[in-house]
Amino acid sequence: MKKYLIGAILVGVGILVSFPLFSMTYYTMVRTSTPDFCAMCHEIKPAVVAWQSSTHVNNPQGFVADCMDCHLPAPHKTFDFFFAKTYHGAKDVVKHFLIKEYDRDKNREAAYASFDNAQCQKCHRNLLAMPGKRGAMLAHRSVIYARPGYEKKCVDCHYDLVHNESPSVIYKQYRRVPYQAKGLRKL
Amino acid sequence: MNRLFHLFLNERRKTMRQKFLFITVGLLTIGLLLAGAVPTINAQPNFPKVKEYRIERSIPPEAVACIECHKASNPGLFDDWARSRHANANITCLDCHLAQPGDTDLAKGHEKYYSRKDLPYGEQKYKVPIAAIVTPKDCSRCHPDEVTQYSRSKHANTIEIMWKLDPWLNNGMNSDNERKTGCFNCHGTVIAIDKNGVVDPATWPNVGVGRLNVDGSKGSCTACHTRHRFSVAEARMPEACDQCHLGPDHPQIEIYEESKHGTMYHAYKNEYNFDAAAGTWTPGTDYRAPTCAACHMSGSGKVMGTHDVTERLSWETQAPLTVRPQDFKPFPSGTDWKVEREKMKNICRACHGDSWISDFYDGFDKAVEDYNEVYFKPAKAKLDELYEKQLLDKTKFFDERLEVEFYELWHHEGRRARMGVMMMAPDYAWWHGFYECKLRFATYMEEANHLIETGEKAYVAKDFPNATGDTKKPQKIFGNK
Repeated sequence: MKKYLIGAILVGVGILVSFPLFSMTYYTMVRTSTPDFCAMCHEIKPAVVAWQSSTHVNNPQGFVADCMDCHLPAPHKTFDFFFAKTYHGAKDVVKHFLIKEYDRDKNREAAYASFDNAQCQKCHRNLLAMPGKRGAMLAHRSVIYARPGYEKKCVDCHYDLVHNESPSVIYKQYRRVPYQAKGLRKL
Repeated sequence: MNRLFHLFLNERRKTMRQKFLFITVGLLTIGLLLAGAVPTINAQPNFPKVKEYRIERSIPPEAVACIECHKASNPGLFDDWARSRHANANITCLDCHLAQPGDTDLAKGHEKYYSRKDLPYGEQKYKVPIAAIVTPKDCSRCHPDEVTQYSRSKHANTIEIMWKLDPWLNNGMNSDNERKTGCFNCHGTVIAIDKNGVVDPATWPNVGVGRLNVDGSKGSCTACHTRHRFSVAEARMPEACDQCHLGPDHPQIEIYEESKHGTMYHAYKNEYNFDAAAGTWTPGTDYRAPTCAACHMSGSGKVMGTHDVTERLSWETQAPLTVRPQDFKPFPSGTDWKVEREKMKNICRACHGDSWISDFYDGFDKAVEDYNEVYFKPAKAKLDELYEKQLLDKTKFFDERLEVEFYELWHHEGRRARMGVMMMAPDYAWWHGFYECKLRFATYMEEANHLIETGEKAYVAKDFPNATGDTKKPQKIFGNK
């Protein structure tokens, strides 16, 4: 009887301690995962502004890809996700005080290097059946079933997509010129 | 009386017939003249039949406008495309020629056609920005691996190599137009946009294999896959290569023609299956003797196909001193010649036993060594001695006869000898090759020794013609050096 009581007390204490802890952590995660939060840093604000006028926000599906969706590992890679998020959060605060000038080009390169195809493919999953875009079908095959030594990233061909300084909002559905990948970036 | 009347009637009929004939011929003539005087884009005077193209598959209306207008205005160009694999796959003009925001190589003059009422689809609503120049980067949107391989090759980087080696350019010994119509036709131009945003006509049109494009990519896929068929079959034929690889300085096609490979190609090419799908072109099945592409590019057995023609090479036979590709200073290949030779041997093995292969390479290696040690190195040492003793003037190249002799020793007969051996053409190995090397070497040495013995300075051509070309290396490749 006593055993059960101790067990119940321990479980109760556990719940009392961990529930607020987990919910606060979760709340913090939610609060710090919005583009508005990212834009609080003046270094990042231009990127968020540009993102707002890109097709990753303005498309006929009404779908919005947030900063995190591209710039952090997929949440189902739970450990990677939490680790990367915490690491970047801490690093950004430190760097904010240490670095004089934010090097946009350097950081753009770093972002390209960090993108994993899995990040893009969280949303862009149907890449092989595109009857209206036979060239894209061909190219996507060479990425998804890459010949050894010829592995590629989505961002090798699809770049300058989101953080462009555009004078007006770009709506995917009102594009005058159909979107095409730009070809290999590093040629 | 009756007979007279009939006669009269007949006469009358005859004159009436003549009158009718006269009027008809007159009207026809006027009609023809009028038809000739009215210019219509649909007349296609040089192209009596236009290939049909019914828009049966979904393509954007802007692309329909391209097709319909160019079908009328450039039926030959249109017909090429309509027979291409691209047309098969519903890849239209726009897929390659559509300019994206930020592109600078726009075809500015093209916009005016969208307000030409006499043209089919000449309407503003079809207006899209067009780039006339299609680059390997554009091709890489659908063919990324092929372009990646090509971008590593000496083909794509030939402008850089040329400027690092060539005395004609570096000393300004030929004129800009001699370069435009000669050198750059094969090697490619550095595409320039003038301050009005128009592509500089001195640099475009050009489909040189090493053209430097505005988007930074190098080369032109249409050097070998000509517009607008973009045929794999064409590039598999020696005729694709012989547009550049011929002549006194690198007669690869003449060498090939003389070789057994070329002989068999000509005898059996009608049986060749040039259209085989990528990765399936098979020696012995789809072709008998190899073409240039078969050995240098196409896959065979376990060797994978490549668009990098520098692969599979174990000697740089075009260089002044023959070196391994990885040691070729102007453009080190980044390969290991032993690995590459093994690849090439594997290509040979599709048709040849090991004794044939090793006997061939034995002869090739010996020829290279002979050329290097017996001909090139002594000639080069002599040239250096002449410069050192100031018997030759170093300021310019080609303005003294010994410089020309030295140049031709390596650049003409020296290459012919090495390449003739390499691709098994005995006449080029000997008569056009080492035989000429011997003669050249003897006269060169005779003259050089004469100068050294007498201390007489070589005659410097005062009237070297048309040495007006720009000597500045292209800034886009070499920076501001």
